Amino acid sequence: METKQIEELVAKYNEGLADPAEVKLIEQLIESGGIELTQLRELDLLSKEVLKMEAPSPSIRLDDQFYSLLTKEKKKLVNGRLTFSMPDWNIVFPRLAFVSVVLIAGFAGGYYFNRPSQNQEVHVLTQQVSDLREMMVFSLLEKESATDRLKAVGLTSEMNQVSQKVTDALFKTMNQDDNTNVRLAALEALMPYAKQSSVRKELIKSIAIQDSPLVQVALAEFMVAIQEKKSVKELQKLLQNKNTPKEVVKKINESIKILI
Amino acid sequence: MEALSDNSLMAKVRDGDLDRLGLLFERYKKPLYGFFYGLNREQELSEDLVQNTFFRILKYRHLFRGDGDFRAWMFHIARNVNHDHYRKNKLNLKDDLEKWQDRLSHTENRATEIQQEEEQQMLSMAMDRLPVDKREILLLSKYQEKKYQEIGEILGCTEGAVKVKVFRALQELRVIFKQLEKSH
Repeated sequence: METKQIEELVAKYNEGLADPAEVKLIEQLIESGGIELTQLRELDLLSKEVLKMEAPSPSIRLDDQFYSLLTKEKKKLVNGRLTFSMPDWNIVFPRLAFVSVVLIAGFAGGYYFNRPSQNQEVHVLTQQVSDLREMMVFSLLEKESATDRLKAVGLTSEMNQVSQKVTDALFKTMNQDDNTNVRLAALEALMPYAKQSSVRKELIKSIAIQDSPLVQVALAEFMVAIQEKKSVKELQKLLQNKNTPKEVVKKINESIKILI
Repeated sequence: MEALSDNSLMAKVRDGDLDRLGLLFERYKKPLYGFFYGLNREQELSEDLVQNTFFRILKYRHLFRGDGDFRAWMFHIARNVNHDHYRKNKLNLKDDLEKWQDRLSHTENRATEIQQEEEQQMLSMAMDRLPVDKREILLLSKYQEKKYQEIGEILGCTEGAVKVKVFRALQELRVIFKQLEKSH
C-alpha cells in the first residue's frame, strides 16, 4: 500500500468514518509497522490519559512483608552455605583419614623394622592407626551410599581388636541399616567377637528385631555354629510371627532342633 | 550509572547479594502494585501479589540471564503470579461479576465525591469495565512505558501483535468512555 493511501486511511479513521473493513486493514498495517499508534489521534490522546492516570501507592504493610522476606531469605542463604560445606567434609575427611592411616602405618612399619628396641613408640603409633581406622569406620557408616557403609564394615575386619564403640556401631548397623547386604556384612563382622558374652547377648536380642529373611537365616545358622542355647526363645518368637516366610520357619525349626 | 541499572542489580542478587533486591523493590513496588490494583482493585490482595512476585524473583533468581530487560522479566513473573492466584481461587472468578459491580459502584461514588477529577475518574471507571485481557495490555503498556517489544516478550508475541492488542483495547476503552460521558 502506498504512503498516500495509508495517510488517507488514517485521516478517515481520525474523522471517525472508517468502516469495519478499513479498521481491519488498519490493524494489519499496525501489525506490519505501516501505521504507528501515535498517528491515530484520538486513541493516542486516550493512551496518554491512561499514562497520566495516577498510580496508587501500596501501604507500609508491603514494605514490612518484603523486608522480612528478604531477611529470612538471607538467613537461609547463610545457613545453606554452612550446610553446603558439610558434604565436602564428608568426602574429604575419610580421604584425609585414609592418607593419615597409610602415612602413620608407614612410619610405624619403619620404626618397627629399623628400631626393634623402641617397642613403646611402635605401640603408641599402632594405637594411633587403630584410632584413625575407627574414626574412618564411623565416618563411612554415616554415609548415604550403601557401598561406603559396606566399606566401613569391611574395615572393622582388618582391625585386630575393636572397641566397644565399634561393636555398638556394628550392632546399630545390623539392626537399623536400610540395606540387607550392609546388615549381613555387619553380622559377619561381629561374628569374631561372639566369644564376648555381651556381643552374644546383643546378637540374640537382634534375632526378633530382624525383618529380612536373609539376616534371620544367617543369625539362626550362626546361633547353631556357636551353640547358643539361649537364642531358642528369640528364635521361637520368629516362628510365632505370621509374617515370617515359610523357608525361614523351616530353617529355624531345624536350628532349634539342633540347639535343644 | 551502569552499577545501578536494573540488570546489574538483579545480576548481583542472582550472585548472592540479596540486599540489592531492596533497591529493585523500591524502584518497582509502585508500578507492580499499580498493575495488580488496576486488575483487581483490591488493596490487600494487590500487596500480596507484589510480595509473591518478589518472592518468585528471589526463588528463581538463578534463572535470570541478564540478556533481556529486567522489567519485562519481572512483569512476566507478575502475570504468572496473577494467573496462578486466580487459578487457585476459582471461587473468586465466580464472584467476578459481583466484584465488578461493587467496583463500579465504588468508583461511581468516588466520581461524585471528587468533582475536579471527574475525567480521570471516568477513565478509571472505563478501565474497570474493560475485559481483563484488554485492561491488562493497557496496564502493561502504562507500566512498561509503551515498550511494545518488551511487552511482546512478556506475552510471548510479536511487537506488531502487541500494538494491535493495544489498538483494540484503546478502541474499546474509547467506546466505554464515551458511553460514560453521555450518561453523565
